[in-house]
Amino acid sequence: MIKKQSSIPENLILSKNKRSFILAYNDKKYEYTSEYLRVNSPSAEVKGHSPEQRKIVSSKRSVLISNLELIGNYALRITFSDGHDTGIYSWSYLKELHSGYDKIWRKYISDLRKGGLSRD
Amino acid sequence: MPNIKHIITDKLKSVNIDINGKSTNIIDAKIVEDIVIANKQVFLSIKADKRDIEKYDQIKTDAHNIITSIEGVEKVSISLTAHSSPSPAPHDSSKPQDEFLVKDVIAIASGKGGVGKSTTTINLAIAVSKLGFCVGILDADIYGPSVPKLVGVKKKPALSKNGKLEPISVHGISVMSIGFLVDEETPMIWRGPMVISAVNQLIKDVDWGDLDFLFIDMPPGTGDVQLTMAQRIAMSGAIIVSTPQDLALIDAKKGLVMFEKVNVPILGIIENMSSFICPHCNEETHIFGKKGAEKEARSQKVDFLGAVPLMSEIREASDLGEPFVIAEPESSVAQKYMEIAEGVVDRINKKDKTEKPKITIES
Repeated sequence: MIKKQSSIPENLILSKNKRSFILAYNDKKYEYTSEYLRVNSPSAEVKGHSPEQRKIVSSKRSVLISNLELIGNYALRITFSDGHDTGIYSWSYLKELHSGYDKIWRKYISDLRKGGLSRD
Repeated sequence: MPNIKHIITDKLKSVNIDINGKSTNIIDAKIVEDIVIANKQVFLSIKADKRDIEKYDQIKTDAHNIITSIEGVEKVSISLTAHSSPSPAPHDSSKPQDEFLVKDVIAIASGKGGVGKSTTTINLAIAVSKLGFCVGILDADIYGPSVPKLVGVKKKPALSKNGKLEPISVHGISVMSIGFLVDEETPMIWRGPMVISAVNQLIKDVDWGDLDFLFIDMPPGTGDVQLTMAQRIAMSGAIIVSTPQDLALIDAKKGLVMFEKVNVPILGIIENMSSFICPHCNEETHIFGKKGAEKEARSQKVDFLGAVPLMSEIREASDLGEPFVIAEPESSVAQKYMEIAEGVVDRINKKDKTEKPKITIES
């Protein structure tokens, strides 16, 4: 049997205003905002090479998605309007971002506050 | 020591270019890609507009001279990669990158060299074409492109009417090899990113016509070159070729893991040189052990596609450029290849193969 690749969506729909996209699987739809994706970029520029190196990305409330490119079967490269284009989002990472949204977003907001930063 | 990559990027800003009537430099125009520095050698590629190739040749020469003059650089290799539009509108490139008409790209890989991967690829490809499909082979084995020799082709591919490379038609299949692009004597020291541009270009800029299957003969091993290829090329599936030897099987397992990591479904394992058939008495000897690959396939929960014995006739036919399924179509080995081919087609046609997501913009 061929192993099933369940994390690959069937469709990817970018919103008209480029502020979000939807990953459509056969039975469900996941929505992601550009800001959430940008501040959680898996790029080493953001994540660093260890948890201590992680940077808090602030002031991305109005960032837009400027390009999407499929990378083989496993990932999506997202280019943002601020020029950030080194984030390769694997389908499984996107799933994690969706299922962990509440926790990840709450932590981001509290990190911003601690650092005296803002979303704007 | 200051970062050489930064120096290179900085110096390349002095190479000017006009894009869409605007004067800029090649760095700001973002046409310089994949700068790789290894052992005082610099590799990079420049995205070139194929309508204006002379201009880009000049840019390549200028960039070459500038980088050569940087202290600490001994050798520079620049490749031009073709793009019809150097600054695409944002959403043009969000289309799936590969707009070629190949329905399914299948990688033939092995954990290590010397297991007969290329011979298997050719015989399998011809067997699939005998089932009535349009088949192509892309020989991407940068370390030793052997497909041209195995199908008995020496000539270089010609340009077709639409400016694409014409694949070589032989034994009912279309063949293109990375070996056609470089001299046989030149050792290939390309790094992953450069190989990928070259391979992607071979997929896109070769006039494959309407292909049902494109088999990619991968470089043996599981290093960064292979991983990058598996990551960057949208493949429908991968087949691992292994001998039944323990050592080869350990490497085959690495191959399985590699493809799994990048979401390429494994179609199965083919055991090559499964047993030795004596040319004099036809007795079968299991030199490398019995059913090793089959057991490994079972323990890894992947399919076993079939076993092909080691026969001097296969090698002799291959060396003469006559694949065995053509030379001895009635032989039991050729039948074996036919069975494997049916198994591959069958698995590819199963519904749950990888489907690329369709990217659309909400209207």
